[in-house]
Amino acid sequence: MPNHTNLFRPALGGLTALALAMPASATAQQWETRAGERNWGLDISLILEGIYYNEMSHGISEPAGFDDGHDHGHGDGHDHGGFDDGFNLGHNELAFEANLGDLFDGFLMLGFDEDHLDVEEAYLTTRALPGGFQIKAGKFFSDIGYINSRHGHDWDFVDRPLVNEYLFGDHGLQETGVQATWLAPTETYTKLGVELLQGDNSFIPYQGSGGSHTTNDGDEIRSSFSSVSGPRLITAFAKFGPDLGPDHAMQFGISGGYARTWQEETEHGSGLEEWDGDAWFAGLDAVYKYSSGRAYGHGDWRLQGEYFYREIDVDYQRREDQTTIAGNAQGRGKARQDGLYIQGVYGFAPRWEAGLRSEALGLTNRGLPTNEGSERNFAEPSFGTSYRHSAQVTFRPVEPVFLRAQLSQNDFVDEDGDRDRGLEFMLQLNVALGAHGAHRF
Amino acid sequence: MPFSKTRTRITRTLAAVASVAALALILLPAHAAAGLNIVATTSSLGALAREIGGDEADVRVLAPPDRDAHYLDARPSFMAALRRADMLLEIGAGLEEGWLPAAQRGANNRAINSGQPGHFRAADKVELRRSITMDGPNMGHVHEEGNPHFNADPLRMADIGLALAERMSELHPNHAEAFMQRAEAAAERLREHAEKLAERVEPDQRIVVYHEDLDYLEEWLPVEIVGYLEPAPGIPPTARHLRSLVDDLEGTEGTVLYAEFQPPRGAEFLERNLGWPTHAVPLDPPADSGLDGYLELMSTWAQALPQR
Repeated sequence: MPNHTNLFRPALGGLTALALAMPASATAQQWETRAGERNWGLDISLILEGIYYNEMSHGISEPAGFDDGHDHGHGDGHDHGGFDDGFNLGHNELAFEANLGDLFDGFLMLGFDEDHLDVEEAYLTTRALPGGFQIKAGKFFSDIGYINSRHGHDWDFVDRPLVNEYLFGDHGLQETGVQATWLAPTETYTKLGVELLQGDNSFIPYQGSGGSHTTNDGDEIRSSFSSVSGPRLITAFAKFGPDLGPDHAMQFGISGGYARTWQEETEHGSGLEEWDGDAWFAGLDAVYKYSSGRAYGHGDWRLQGEYFYREIDVDYQRREDQTTIAGNAQGRGKARQDGLYIQGVYGFAPRWEAGLRSEALGLTNRGLPTNEGSERNFAEPSFGTSYRHSAQVTFRPVEPVFLRAQLSQNDFVDEDGDRDRGLEFMLQLNVALGAHGAHRF
Repeated sequence: MPFSKTRTRITRTLAAVASVAALALILLPAHAAAGLNIVATTSSLGALAREIGGDEADVRVLAPPDRDAHYLDARPSFMAALRRADMLLEIGAGLEEGWLPAAQRGANNRAINSGQPGHFRAADKVELRRSITMDGPNMGHVHEEGNPHFNADPLRMADIGLALAERMSELHPNHAEAFMQRAEAAAERLREHAEKLAERVEPDQRIVVYHEDLDYLEEWLPVEIVGYLEPAPGIPPTARHLRSLVDDLEGTEGTVLYAEFQPPRGAEFLERNLGWPTHAVPLDPPADSGLDGYLELMSTWAQALPQR
């Protein structure tokens, strides 16, 4: 296994050296700060969010095929992005932004709710590399797709699209690593990027060697995983944006990633299940914005959609003690899953907008290999497609505040192929205080 | 797990990325050799740059002149333009803060970073009027440095032109003399035209404007701002605010001015209740105009007021 690192290590080292050396050499030539150009400050912003949630009718909690072994939903009360009925402190953010002259931008964002405080992002971005290159290093949201790198208060709906949540996790693809991008000097915006990432999240779970599990019978089962040093995930993306004049703007993206290790386990009283292999994903995204030219967003349109597909290629085994495979619960298989969403938002009056979103998850839905029946026969399960449809109305009384009402109908399928509908209502109040940074396209 | 297969795949990926990058570098055209490639956020700055740069500058304006420059998206096309720019001209003082920093960061071009000679911030070159947002309640639209809508003042624009010519001369020393001469000629035309227009306007005019974007008319025309249609900057007119304006101004004479992209309802309410004439005026000249376009815009503003 350690052989794997041969290619990643030099690449990572090279990029880091480049990131550090280039600005330094550029500094020697010419670097002066002009009087009156204030660009040294620390900007702080606070985003507060409250959500009222009401489950009007209960359907199926989780779409089939996406529990990935780690959370078998034994009623632990935390389903994906779930809210309690009634009032919830939503997703709050405290962001710090500062720069070192024009060499580096630093960004730190802490996300918190009642119980958790997370470092969501903490990274440096180079601002002085020549030739249209830029390097970002630290913990950040990957730039794959469109919504993955955006924070909640930039979304058009209260919740994350299913495809992003179930393929990449509750926080999307959020990783520690290095990103290099290059912007082509062309009329049409063309940005290419590569990311070397540590690889330890819901899309690419990692266990490493040394784990063990004790069954109810007192047998110790040692984990069969090997340690694989990071970075374990490489992604690449390209974004294109033609110039369509003052009224229209578009951006298309294509992205993908390869995780050279994918290790997951589930502990049972009677034994241990393990999946060990690799995984890849690829996707397309597109955004279109129409600007009517009227005040307060009246008449503006925003359309956006994304599709992602992933494959996990794993060896599977279920053991009852260190050496005994349970029944025929062993084999090699592939999980193949995908999802998409498309949404549109229209400014129907000054400061008011309304939007619709349609989602499908698991159009292809081959789950992870597992075992079935009392014989514990190796199986590669297949599941149906889950859907969700949402509608929202948003009002912005003053610039930094919005109030959003959203109605979502889940049409999820469960593991037995049964289908049921649930209806949820959400009311979101989001307030941005302090300096708020410029918004990306 | 198949080691060799994995490694081959990574090698192939890296090789593909490298070859695409190499190919792109070879095929793409080099910088337009001759002049300065200038990107201006607003068309008022663009007009100055065109006049001063002449044939030695290629100017592109980002904000469409009929849109509110406060609220734009950091579009991909903006970043593509900034990627190739030698120079970025911005108004500053918060006007473009909602989108320009994101576009600058996304442009991967050090030449136009804040603090570089290629970044020209007009607000640093003139004294700003106090912004009404500095005194009112903080509603999220605060111009801490002062009122950034000084493009409505030709006298300040004349000074900005001179400062701009100096900066352009630093970047293109060969053309320094031409830049300075054109900037001085432009400054003279701006000042003369302002004086001429001011003389034709009836004295002691009172105006109500929508946002604080025409306040600088006070600096060169015989006008006084007596009210704003917005109850607070960035908030659309409310019925209560409009009624209180009417109460305050009842029985006096004046004119209502607002920008073409602002909703006309507030102005129409004042027209009905006070009998004041209303005019929707542009705030910036057409995107492709030079100094003449700006001079014409000055005339449009002045002629919206009663003439002698």
